[in-house]
Amino acid sequence: MRVLNKAKIETMLNRLSADNDVYVPMLRGPGTGFFSWKSYDEDYDELVLDRLNVFMPPKQIIISPAEKNNIDLMSGGAGASKKIIFGIRSCDVQGINFQDEFFGEKEIESDSYHGRRDQTIIIANACYYPAPSCFCSSVGIDPLHPVGADIIIRDTGKEGYVWEACTDKGELLTEKTADLLEEKEVTIPIPLPFALQVNFDGVSEKLADMDDHPLWGKYSEACQTCMLCTYTCPSCYCLDLQAAHWRKANYEFSCFDSCAYKNEALSTGGSSSLEEAATRFRNRFLHKLRFYLQNYGKPLCTGCGRCIAICPSGASISKIIAEVQEANL
Amino acid sequence: MPDKDHKCTCSEQPLVPKVVEVIDIIDRTPDVKSFFVRNVDGNGLPFQVDPGQCGMVSMPIGEAMISCTWQEEQEYLEFAIKRVGLLTDELHQIEIGQQIGVRGPYGNGFPVEACKGKDMVFIAGGIGLAPLRSFIKYCFKHREDYGKITILYGSRSQADLCFKEELFDLWPKESNTEVFVTIDNAEPDWNGHVGFVPAYLEELNPSSAGAVAVVCGPPIMIKFVLQSLEKMGYNDDQVITTLEMRMKCGIGKCGRCNIGSEFICLDGPVYYLKQLRDLPPEW
Ligand code: FES
Repeated sequence: MRVLNKAKIETMLNRLSADNDVYVPMLRGPGTGFFSWKSYDEDYDELVLDRLNVFMPPKQIIISPAEKNNIDLMSGGAGASKKIIFGIRSCDVQGINFQDEFFGEKEIESDSYHGRRDQTIIIANACYYPAPSCFCSSVGIDPLHPVGADIIIRDTGKEGYVWEACTDKGELLTEKTADLLEEKEVTIPIPLPFALQVNFDGVSEKLADMDDHPLWGKYSEACQTCMLCTYTCPSCYCLDLQAAHWRKANYEFSCFDSCAYKNEALSTGGSSSLEEAATRFRNRFLHKLRFYLQNYGKPLCTGCGRCIAICPSGASISKIIAEVQEANL
Repeated sequence: MPDKDHKCTCSEQPLVPKVVEVIDIIDRTPDVKSFFVRNVDGNGLPFQVDPGQCGMVSMPIGEAMISCTWQEEQEYLEFAIKRVGLLTDELHQIEIGQQIGVRGPYGNGFPVEACKGKDMVFIAGGIGLAPLRSFIKYCFKHREDYGKITILYGSRSQADLCFKEELFDLWPKESNTEVFVTIDNAEPDWNGHVGFVPAYLEELNPSSAGAVAVVCGPPIMIKFVLQSLEKMGYNDDQVITTLEMRMKCGIGKCGRCNIGSEFICLDGPVYYLKQLRDLPPEW
């Protein structure tokens, strides 16, 4: 087995950063997220490879919203640089797989999304100890074998990280860094079971007849429209396009939007199809549990559990799915 | 969603507008102007449209999805735009020769083929006549393909009637065609019908046999017209309407305009009522 000694992590990240922008999970200020290793400042930042579900999933690294003058949110072109996402978990890799599916569709294939995506290498960190809100196994994700990763690292504790290349890209990168890896046998940890199981079976079909169900009113009443659920969701991709005039130039840029906002669907004349909180709430969950599935065959959820842990009013997707399962229609 | 192609053909990059020149502006009503645009080099159009398709019109302050008028000779694009907000306010201040951005075409357009052989009943209110006008013009261009054509149009007042030349001069002269115009409240120099569109429609009661009704107007008008049509015996697959949703990207990627699993910018904006009945009630 190839193993990366923990003492060599920083050397490895420095090495990788020579040719790439390497994004790693860090605690920066009050929050955690994926930040460029080049911006790492040991006085302020902390590398948190062992943290499950950093606050902000690395969903903005490839589609790069809010990039100034990024007229075309799907454009690769000049702005595309070589990137590595290091230490990403299975659920967040699935978030990127969703982006591949959605933004990488054939019609906008040209130079666009793929320009960025092709230059990105994913080094995923296998999860052995799920958090109480984690349920990725319920959406068919294997936390130990992230599908879509180029390299998987496995934390074996003191022995270091087992390093496994899974794709040609990953193999190539491994060859370049082979001198930092040692060859030895180590014990792989035994994964703990998931505390949370969510049963998605039949939910989509059942939701077809639940447009008027009181459940939407019940949960949306408590919703504070903080949007943390959409902001921290690795699979929520809805975007806003904005025009701005800044320093004598005109820009158009994209930024993440949220379907929980009343204004998201505000149309000319002040009407909005998402005027009611309950409608917005329903639209969000139906998008995840039904509409996306109708178009792409699976629910738009990675089971990371961030929304469950973060919602201040306790409206969790697991509770909602359970209520749908129990509803007598 | 692999079978759903966005149709924007104006640029390599789907969201980048093409700069065009405004070659003419016509005042339609006190708050509606038609803008005619073509490529800056004077050659051709940024894109071609089918009846009912839209284009994204932009100025430095933003963009909006606007129905684009189908032209028999595709020499320019026409957008009839009502002044209602920030962007349209700015648009209404531009002058001939200025440049704006457009991208498109977006949306599915009217089912012009499927309607062949049918009697057509067009029902519009206010600026809602703009999209229908494309279909109406298309029918007159291919007159022999369609049966009787009935056009019912209403607006708040005489001054707000759009496309008066067509309503009062051109269209009534077409064969086997009737045009009815109404305004909401009586005015001293108005001899025509007074009243709301749905009530007038029921009064006229155009036969539903072999007919298709195409409806566009303010949401409240659409709501009551749909009820009237149902009363008059129109089935859900005989009624077509166009939806207005907020749109940002136009290519099914920003998630703005969804109703259920449909993105109005890709799958709409034109729907048979039958299709709408299958969607969540957001429309
Ligand atoms: S306008 Fe962006 S999805 Fe339709």
